[in-house]
Amino acid sequence: MKILIAIGSKDFSKPTLKLGMKVAQAFNAKTTIIDVGEKISEFSSQLVELAQDQLESWDFDAPGVDVLEWAFNYLSQNKLIDIKQTETGFPKNKLIDDGEGRKMVYLSGTTCEDVNLILRNGDIIAELREEVQFGEYDVTILGKSRKRNMSHDLLQYINSSILIVNDYEDQKFDKILLPLDYKDGMLKVAKYAIRVAMALNVGIDIFTVFDKNKSQNKGSNYFSKIIKFIRRSGVQYSHEEKEGEIVEQIIKKADKNKIIVMKASDMSPIKRFFKGSIPLSVMNECDVPILIVK
Amino acid sequence: MLGFSNISLSNFLFWATQKKWFLFSIILGVCLLNIPSPEGLPIEGKTAIIILVVALVLIIKEPIPLPAVAIFIIISQIYSNVDSVDGIAKSFMSDAVFFIMGSLMLAVVIIRQGWDSRIALGILKITGNKTSNIALGFLSISALLSSFIGEHTVAAIMLPIGMSLIRFTSSDLSQIKGLSATILFSIAYGCLIGSIGTPSGGGRNVIMINYLNQSDISISYFEWMVRTYPFILFQIPIVNWVIIRTFKPEYKILDSSIRKLVIKVARSRSMTGRNTLTVLIFFLIVLGWVFLSEKFGLGTIALSGVFIYLIGGFVKWSDLNRNTHWGVIILFGSTISLGTSIRLTGAATWLSDKILYGLGDVISSVPFVSDLLVIFMTTGMSNVLSSSATVAVLGPVTLNLVPEMLDVGLLTAMSSAFSYFTAVAAPACTIVYSSGMVKASDFLKIGLRVGFVSIILLIFYVNVYWPLIN
Repeated sequence: MKILIAIGSKDFSKPTLKLGMKVAQAFNAKTTIIDVGEKISEFSSQLVELAQDQLESWDFDAPGVDVLEWAFNYLSQNKLIDIKQTETGFPKNKLIDDGEGRKMVYLSGTTCEDVNLILRNGDIIAELREEVQFGEYDVTILGKSRKRNMSHDLLQYINSSILIVNDYEDQKFDKILLPLDYKDGMLKVAKYAIRVAMALNVGIDIFTVFDKNKSQNKGSNYFSKIIKFIRRSGVQYSHEEKEGEIVEQIIKKADKNKIIVMKASDMSPIKRFFKGSIPLSVMNECDVPILIVK
Repeated sequence: MLGFSNISLSNFLFWATQKKWFLFSIILGVCLLNIPSPEGLPIEGKTAIIILVVALVLIIKEPIPLPAVAIFIIISQIYSNVDSVDGIAKSFMSDAVFFIMGSLMLAVVIIRQGWDSRIALGILKITGNKTSNIALGFLSISALLSSFIGEHTVAAIMLPIGMSLIRFTSSDLSQIKGLSATILFSIAYGCLIGSIGTPSGGGRNVIMINYLNQSDISISYFEWMVRTYPFILFQIPIVNWVIIRTFKPEYKILDSSIRKLVIKVARSRSMTGRNTLTVLIFFLIVLGWVFLSEKFGLGTIALSGVFIYLIGGFVKWSDLNRNTHWGVIILFGSTISLGTSIRLTGAATWLSDKILYGLGDVISSVPFVSDLLVIFMTTGMSNVLSSSATVAVLGPVTLNLVPEMLDVGLLTAMSSAFSYFTAVAAPACTIVYSSGMVKASDFLKIGLRVGFVSIILLIFYVNVYWPLIN
């Protein structure tokens, strides 16, 4: 299992890093923390690099290194990386530039597998997509952006499950909301929900919404298998069925205290591009963390 | 769908989203090609204008790499019969391109010579510890150096000095936002202000000289300085005042931070004989620009300097190769070739005639309208494009606007330096912005004020000073 946590600034990324590392621990995943800096105009990119070299000779770090340093300090304060590495502070001298505008530092983890720190520059979606393809990550974790279309682009183009962290606080979230329907392909979602529930030590609310206008194949064997699977995991759960508009009901049920774990849309990319999808609508409208499993 | 997997469809959609401006520009180009050519505009001229429009969208939005834009400009001119292969190749490699190539390489050599420490000491010796004087020192030194060396080189040299002074004042940057902006904008704007002072101050000046030469007008290095340098001296105190008034630095005196900076500089490595030799060679290059550029061209002299640095072992080719943006050089070559085509096909004359016709009697009855027109067109474009590319594509048009070609050429080159409004317009601004100590909104906040003052000052300058020396 490989997890990518995208952070952006010291001021807003703490909840993302906190929940991200908890999820990484739950999956005992190899974790990479990435900061994607602003895109530099191609006209000046080489000159800016030359200026950055000059700044380094005056002991100034390249932009973004301070964010990685902050992430490193967070990891070391919470004993998430090997203590030997934290004694000498952030290993700036070990930042390896791979020549493609990507700098990285490797650290050995304690509660999860290795933790890597990566710095990139450019368009956030393009850089995350490239990193996910390069590192074959299973989950990408990042904070909610105010940018229009950001959620759409993430779901559409990032080839991994996506966890969007909205105002995460430990005490606030006491349940996982698992919207399930009676279609196939829900086992992976249930597995993810169980792992997250175990990591946060909370129960799962399974929630099935019936669209009034569509017929549903109620009570399939597949669905009972999932319920059995959750029961066997030892995580406390409840199951509720409701009729109504799906997105509205999920958001209402999630309220402000549940983390949503749901399946990505099965629609073709073209259809999803023009029509949108239920997970996208939930992601756009909810105020709680949401994990879309692909 | 049609046998394509979901992953390939998703990849295609991603490509289309990333390249939307490329697709838009191509569709726009095809639509414009299908519109009949206006009266008086030859078909080659119309095609050249369409290539220009498409290239502008591609350069501003950067949906494809800049070298790809350069290649597009070259091949589209050949395929559409705007000019022959030989014609395009000839206009592509001019002295202006030699100069841009040489100046980017010289920057690599100069930046690594440790001049920054000496400059820091020099500024502090002159200015003392008063913040307003220090800002004036940064602005003046940046302007004076960039008028000879080139704005990007000076910005790279000055930035660490400015940032050190800021860091020594307070490690909490939120407490000294005004001071940070004052120092950093003094560097960025100093570089822009100075870049107009001599032909070697920026690639755009050499591009303009190239266009003037094509119209059989020549201007020597010294003549250029006589016409433009006083403007720098006018601008420096005024822009300094505007910057101080806008950002209101939190500290009036920077006593302890200056002491810390002096100690830091004293501890840095001292200049070696080799560094001194590098300075001397550069001094010879400047002398060559002043006295020999009319005969051999600025680019040839810049490349001669690079040649000496290479054979003397002052710089390794691998270092030059790694740090020189060849894509930008190719792009400038191609925009100059497009500018030449716009002039040769009659498109430049047609465009300037249309502008003059549109303005009607206003241009002759209202004073300074033609000056304002050139300044607004150039300033506007250089803030979204790049100043050199602006001069490359606008130069042939503005040169046709008024009979005094030399004056309007210099006016175009000078106002192309007014790229104060955005962080991306000029390399000096981008370098300062990359420090992370100033915001993009700061550029608009101060840029509007400095831009307004500079435009007024330039109108006054060209209408009072130039008639005196003509």
